[in-house]
Amino acid sequence: MAQYDVIIIGAGHNGLVTAAYLAQAGRRVLVLEKRDTVGGAAVSEEIFPGFKISSVADGCGYLSAKVRRELKLDARVETVPSDVVAFCPQPDGTQLTIWRDTQRTAEEIARFSKADAEEYPKFVELMSRIADVVGGLMEMTPPDLPEISLRDLLNGAALLGPVRRLGRKRIPDLLRILPMPSADLLNEFFEADAVRGAIGASSVLNITWGPQENGTAYTLLSSWAQSGTGLFRSAGVVKGGMGALTGALADAARGFGAEIRTGASVSEVIVADERATGVRLSSGEEHTAAAVVSNADPRTTFYELLEPHYFDTLFVRQVENIKYRGSAARIHLALSALPEFTALAGGDATAQLSGPIQIAPSLDYVQKAFDCTKYGEYSRYPYLDLLIPTLSDPSLAPAGQHILSITAKYAPYELDAGDWSAHKQSFADVVIDTLAEYAPNIRDVITDRHVLTPPDLESLYGLPEGNPNHGEMTLEQFFHMRPIPSCARYRTPIAGMYICGAGAHPGGGVTGIPGHNAAREILKDSK
Amino acid sequence: MTQNYDAIIVGGGHNGLTCAAYLARAGRKVLVLEQRHVLGGAAVSEEIYPGFTYSVCSYVVSLLRPEVIRELELAKYGLKIHPNDSVFVPMENGDSFTSYADETKARREFGRFSQRDAEMASRFHEVMYKMAFAVKPIIGYVPPNIIKPSLRDLGTLKDLGKHMRGLGKETFHELCKIMVMSADDFLGEYFETDVIRAVHGMSGIIGTMLGVRSPGTAYVLLHHYMGELDGAFTAWGAQQGGTGGVSEAIAGSARNHGAEIRVSAPVAQVIVKNGSAVGVALENGDEFYADTIVSGCDPKVTFRKLVEEKDLPADLVRSIDKFKYRGSSGKVNLALDGLPHFPSLKDPSVLKGAIDICPSVRYIEKAYDDAKYGGFSKRPAMEVVIPSVVDPTMAPQGKHMMSIFVQYAAYDMSEYGNRDQQREAFGNAVIDTLSEFAPNIKDLILHKQVLTPWDLEQQIGLTEGNIFQGELTLDQLFFLRPAAGWADYRTPIRGYWQCGSGTHPGGGITAGPGRLAAREILGGKL
Repeated sequence: MAQYDVIIIGAGHNGLVTAAYLAQAGRRVLVLEKRDTVGGAAVSEEIFPGFKISSVADGCGYLSAKVRRELKLDARVETVPSDVVAFCPQPDGTQLTIWRDTQRTAEEIARFSKADAEEYPKFVELMSRIADVVGGLMEMTPPDLPEISLRDLLNGAALLGPVRRLGRKRIPDLLRILPMPSADLLNEFFEADAVRGAIGASSVLNITWGPQENGTAYTLLSSWAQSGTGLFRSAGVVKGGMGALTGALADAARGFGAEIRTGASVSEVIVADERATGVRLSSGEEHTAAAVVSNADPRTTFYELLEPHYFDTLFVRQVENIKYRGSAARIHLALSALPEFTALAGGDATAQLSGPIQIAPSLDYVQKAFDCTKYGEYSRYPYLDLLIPTLSDPSLAPAGQHILSITAKYAPYELDAGDWSAHKQSFADVVIDTLAEYAPNIRDVITDRHVLTPPDLESLYGLPEGNPNHGEMTLEQFFHMRPIPSCARYRTPIAGMYICGAGAHPGGGVTGIPGHNAAREILKDSK
Repeated sequence: MTQNYDAIIVGGGHNGLTCAAYLARAGRKVLVLEQRHVLGGAAVSEEIYPGFTYSVCSYVVSLLRPEVIRELELAKYGLKIHPNDSVFVPMENGDSFTSYADETKARREFGRFSQRDAEMASRFHEVMYKMAFAVKPIIGYVPPNIIKPSLRDLGTLKDLGKHMRGLGKETFHELCKIMVMSADDFLGEYFETDVIRAVHGMSGIIGTMLGVRSPGTAYVLLHHYMGELDGAFTAWGAQQGGTGGVSEAIAGSARNHGAEIRVSAPVAQVIVKNGSAVGVALENGDEFYADTIVSGCDPKVTFRKLVEEKDLPADLVRSIDKFKYRGSSGKVNLALDGLPHFPSLKDPSVLKGAIDICPSVRYIEKAYDDAKYGGFSKRPAMEVVIPSVVDPTMAPQGKHMMSIFVQYAAYDMSEYGNRDQQREAFGNAVIDTLSEFAPNIKDLILHKQVLTPWDLEQQIGLTEGNIFQGELTLDQLFFLRPAAGWADYRTPIRGYWQCGSGTHPGGGITAGPGRLAAREILGGKL
């Protein structure tokens, strides 16, 4: 008899979610993580002495409320929400703040355009309704299209509520908006660049495309559906950093009886008679299980943990064709004092700065930042997404000091000019120069900096091409196509072998939903 | 002056004429009113310079529905296509690539660049062929109303589901991908050679303000692939006597069935009484009456110019105002004193086909980035044809007619000054770029006609110069073209119909919208 019911490869947040659900259901679960800490890309690390930094995933994440509730995480981890959803300084020294409160935001928007202020509540209402439908899709196991089984239809019934609330007249809006560019969508509602940029930036934060590209309205909706703010992005921080969240997940899994081992690198999945029977570690050690689940990305899962010869040529071709394409760098700064934004001069800035900060003054600005990636160049005027987590959680840094973490777009995985190592610091300089246009004191308060380019994210965190989502969140890699059609239901052609990472539906973000959905399917199969 | 008809068609473009021909064939008394002095809309031939026939806008034919050719007996009325067997691509390094229709030649040429690509080519064609067949029946559907589906609409949706299940998983999944991917990503799954991806990618961007690397362009590629079907003719081709000959053939068929066609008769408005269309008023004040009025114009003209807002529901007005046009292409037509010389040309027979200026994927993408914020590409991507090589009626002996389709030209070119200056600057960019590949071109020019998107709007009536009467993006296709609930050729005004490329199945000289509209008007039977 196998030593375990299930072995999970990788203790990223999805692997931990799957582990927790399976252990909760009474399965004997072993999680194997090759790094010394759990969390994968959702970790807190002491990059600078005394500073606890969420190196890759940041903020309060997008962890599904359902997962949070069912795994009883509230007792284990605290999030500090922020009232500000996006603080957006403008090149002319003004600023636009998007608050959780719609009315308060409308008043802000009115400073830029009265018409936009009137449109904003309507836009929020429509998008929230559509996002509810998208959210419903996310928790579904995709049907094996073009076939739809009775069970799929029953699962689809979960969408009826959201669709009814959207209303029949607006179903065409849903169908029309999904494949659109976010820029076109926002242009239909708003006229002020600042407003369009503030909302549109979120549509491309985790994707390689610019907001003018088709499919980015879907990424906006996907973010909207999972944000927990009722708006286009989440806002707040996890107390103790992202690592506290995955730490809580690990504790929850352990609490349900799962065994988690770090520093245990799986070199291969053992397959006998076309069935996964266990794993072999790089130490040579072997463990057997009735089922093996990979939290790694599809390329790693099928090419490294398994071998291409297990699969037919169509399968291999489809895996080969998965688009990864990381396009952002992560830059962490240790600060001796808060940056002083020109737009907030003279007042108490802490309220506005405690949420996400966006340098994305217009859709054209973001699009132009994107254009260069097509030619293997990094942006000269990058679109920046910033967070100062120490304003919400001072314990993350020595007293009086701050962390500024930046997602800097766009930084393509491959540079035409050659190796990233030669350009890493100059890109960071560009980022800081850009920031200095909005917060002129920034250079004077930086005491340390740490730069992670897409190749760094690949080598350090196992994110191929530096893509945080284990594959782009584009429409051709969506739903029944994610990561490839024959694995979209979390199963693989090898019996007993499953996937549970962000490469599976519904994709990236610290949502836990792929892990949740995978656990559901594994439990169905093992009943 | 008043006269009575069963049906009046506004606009003598190829779809309007097709609709007219089918209605006349069914015994209706039909009047077609065209604003210009010549028929055809964007499918038009004109003698702009003495002795030379210009295919002013549209310059190749391939998507024309075979059932239309058959049912309207177009061959009898002058339809004659000279097939276009090759695409010649001069490259920046002095080499060239030619895409041949002939399989042996194609394989040899692919193999000159990459043996792997030569092998993939047949797989690629097979996949495209399968997908084109998969999409083909959809072209024949009247798009269902998804807000309030009728029994027939539910039937259509059921048929569609059945059809999709019948495709097999591999084709279905490939179809899902091609609907949303970028042309270059899609091609990159088959080909490794840059110039091969570039020339194939060109079909994905024609008439679309998107780059080969923008998601959504793979579908446009498929749209253009559908012409390679059905055996009526197997590739792209040039109509004898210019593209206007297609419109003339359809008009000939319509006239033969008794339709009356008037040119220089611009319609000012559709006359609506008690929610029903009852006739049209011309700009000169003449009025004509009929129970059925059909607009072949684009959605903006159909809903926002020819009728009044008060006669339309607010939802529809909003949808029509959101409909995207964004013309992306211009046209330069040249009367030439002789054949241009391409130093990279080895096989002179390829001048019978198309010459594509798209030496690399990066070249096309740069051209796009150059124009997408306004203006035009300084080094544009272009498709050049010299129809006079195969059709001597196009130009005097020894002389040639050259048609240059140019991507990208934005509707807004205001950075270049007034309209004349814009046209001049745009034309110069085109000719300067072409002369990089054919250095003697400037010495050969006897006359040039330059059309910017604004010119296409002013002269032909295409809003923002969009050659498809609205972008062919997923959010504007099938039951969303031009607006949900009104994709079945009807309008909220009783007796008022639409039949232009702004309706399903969209742009190109397909005659599909005209035929489907006629079928709906005639109660489902042609």
